[in-house]
Amino acid sequence: MRISEVFKAQPFRLALAFAVAVSVATTAAFAFIYLQVSSAEFQRVGAMLVEEAAASQGDTEAELRRGFELPLTRDIRRLDFAALIDVEGRVAFGKAASIPSIPVDGKAHFFPDQLARTEDGAREPAVFVARRLTEGGTLVLGRNLREVYILQETLLRTLAIALLPTALLILLIGAIIARRASHRFERVHGAIVRIMNGELDSRLPVSNKDGDIDRVAHAVNLMLDEIARLLEQLKSAGDTIAHDLRTPLAVARAKIERALNNETGIEQLREAMEAALAQIEKASVTISAILRISAVENGARETRFRDFDLAAICEQVFDFYEPLAESKGVMMIADTAKPVPVRGDQDLMREALSNLIDNAIKFTPAGGSVRIGARMTEGRPFVLVSDTGVGVPPQERAKIFDRFYRGERSGQTPGHGLGLSIAETIANLHGFKLTVEDNNPGARFELRATSSAPAVRLAREPA
Amino acid sequence: MINPPFDSVSNPTMDTSAGAPVLVVEDERDLAEEIRLELQASGHPVQLSETVDEGLRAARSGPAVLVIDRMLQGQDGLSIIEALRAEGNATPALVISALSSVDDRITGLKAGGDDYLVKPFDIRELSARVEALLRRRGDARLTRLQVGLLEMDLVERTVQCEGKPVDLLPREFTLLEYFMRRPGQVVTRAMLLEDVWNFKFMAQTNVVDVQIGNLRRKLDPAGARRFVVNIRAVGFKLNADQ
Repeated sequence: MRISEVFKAQPFRLALAFAVAVSVATTAAFAFIYLQVSSAEFQRVGAMLVEEAAASQGDTEAELRRGFELPLTRDIRRLDFAALIDVEGRVAFGKAASIPSIPVDGKAHFFPDQLARTEDGAREPAVFVARRLTEGGTLVLGRNLREVYILQETLLRTLAIALLPTALLILLIGAIIARRASHRFERVHGAIVRIMNGELDSRLPVSNKDGDIDRVAHAVNLMLDEIARLLEQLKSAGDTIAHDLRTPLAVARAKIERALNNETGIEQLREAMEAALAQIEKASVTISAILRISAVENGARETRFRDFDLAAICEQVFDFYEPLAESKGVMMIADTAKPVPVRGDQDLMREALSNLIDNAIKFTPAGGSVRIGARMTEGRPFVLVSDTGVGVPPQERAKIFDRFYRGERSGQTPGHGLGLSIAETIANLHGFKLTVEDNNPGARFELRATSSAPAVRLAREPA
Repeated sequence: MINPPFDSVSNPTMDTSAGAPVLVVEDERDLAEEIRLELQASGHPVQLSETVDEGLRAARSGPAVLVIDRMLQGQDGLSIIEALRAEGNATPALVISALSSVDDRITGLKAGGDDYLVKPFDIRELSARVEALLRRRGDARLTRLQVGLLEMDLVERTVQCEGKPVDLLPREFTLLEYFMRRPGQVVTRAMLLEDVWNFKFMAQTNVVDVQIGNLRRKLDPAGARRFVVNIRAVGFKLNADQ
């Protein structure tokens, strides 16, 4: 990252704002100190003068003269000016020209440029007190405020000098933090750009400190893992769809082409057309099944859910499939304990059960049996569809619910590999879990309500 | 794909729907053309419309049945049916749609549609359903049905063939009743699944054929007559002549 970008980065702007805020607060604090200290100094000098004037009130003119004739600069009270005006209004002593016009009230009065400095005659700020003496005269005392002003200036300069490095230090720290944060953002940003450009294996950098950015980066990485998994699934599903559709279409095409090339009679042409049509029908069935899954996923809303007896649905499906099983020489056994109240979509549940039973009959050879059970176990609905067919080997059990997966043992048995996917999708929609176990021999599908299944409204009898 | 007219089956005697005009509101020209050819082959004059406004105007001019696509250039074809029903027009309507979610079917039927077909569909399935809509005049209050040599008592739930009783399982009785209410009419597998067994989806295996086979054997153990005939690649029909 270039330096100019550091200043544009959000953390740096935050640091800058922080530095400004700290500077303003420090300045305010310094201004307060300055005002407090200088005003206290003025008060102190003024009060001293007032006190001095008060102490001198009872003194005679002679006493005053003696006292003030001592070198003023050496006086601990540091009077710079003293004058006495007698009863007649004459100046008994002191420099008449320097006496300001002030009320004779014994209080301190400040003047910005009243008193001349002895050395060069420049006028400087001063404080004066005038007080009526017991004898009748008026005593005027004054003091130069130069030192107070020097103190003020020193204070101001000190504070100003202190403020600058404080602000700079804050800015510097801010810039360092901003740089570090920007660096991390830059790395994260770089990783995101790489991922956007197609490097889906890239992940956001995560440091071992458990910071906010790390937590976000970690969550994003988990999300990316999930997306990658879904993409992979989609890709293989896409490949399978393409394959499942291309095969019948290729066969249909070959049949039509062969019929066209060989000059055959109308009957042979007709046969070829029918065979081609059957292949197209096969592709069409696969498309319908794919659409069916998304229809089930998108369409089932809980607003359509009603209470019904799952055992009764099992019996209906049993009744529907029994002739088919019979024609194959497979025995069907129903083992239902009514009622099994469930809240859901009857039509979809019927579809899920049909797919399971259809599947069971398909993979069970003549002489075998298919059992359908429905009951409540541990207070929860439970459905079982077991057969004595080829079964599902353990390594395939996790995969058989994947879309388009057809087991090694399916062989030439017709099917599009979506029946169990549809059944599982429907089960999940209802808060049911569909699993497969070994039936020794054969497969054993179990449909179990989980805690997330919608509760049956107890007020109503199940349909 | 243009299919030949249903083969090897003579026209049913009770056909009152022959020549009934059909209005097809569909903006996909290729599909509309296929539907037109198929319905014309069954003897129906067909009028085509492409928009909701045009379709509504044509629908008011009195076709016997409507075939309406839901997605018409950004408008919902259901609005035609809703407008007609609001005017008291009860012309039967078949709704076709690419929307296949479970709710769409309900929406379509609630809006006043009489049947619902999801794309992609077999054109002959559509034809069979249009015929079914045209003939929907059977009286539900009947207590006896008679088609040719078959007689059914809906109260006693008994069936006789040439005066001799036939012993049917309840599911076989229901299936035969469905056919006897639609003599000479083509019934598709999907229609049977939906109406007889309440299955709103296509079962994978040939369960329907097995059930029909059982029914056939019970009606005619000797195999001399053909009560229920196969209509290839479409479905079945109860032969009224037998």
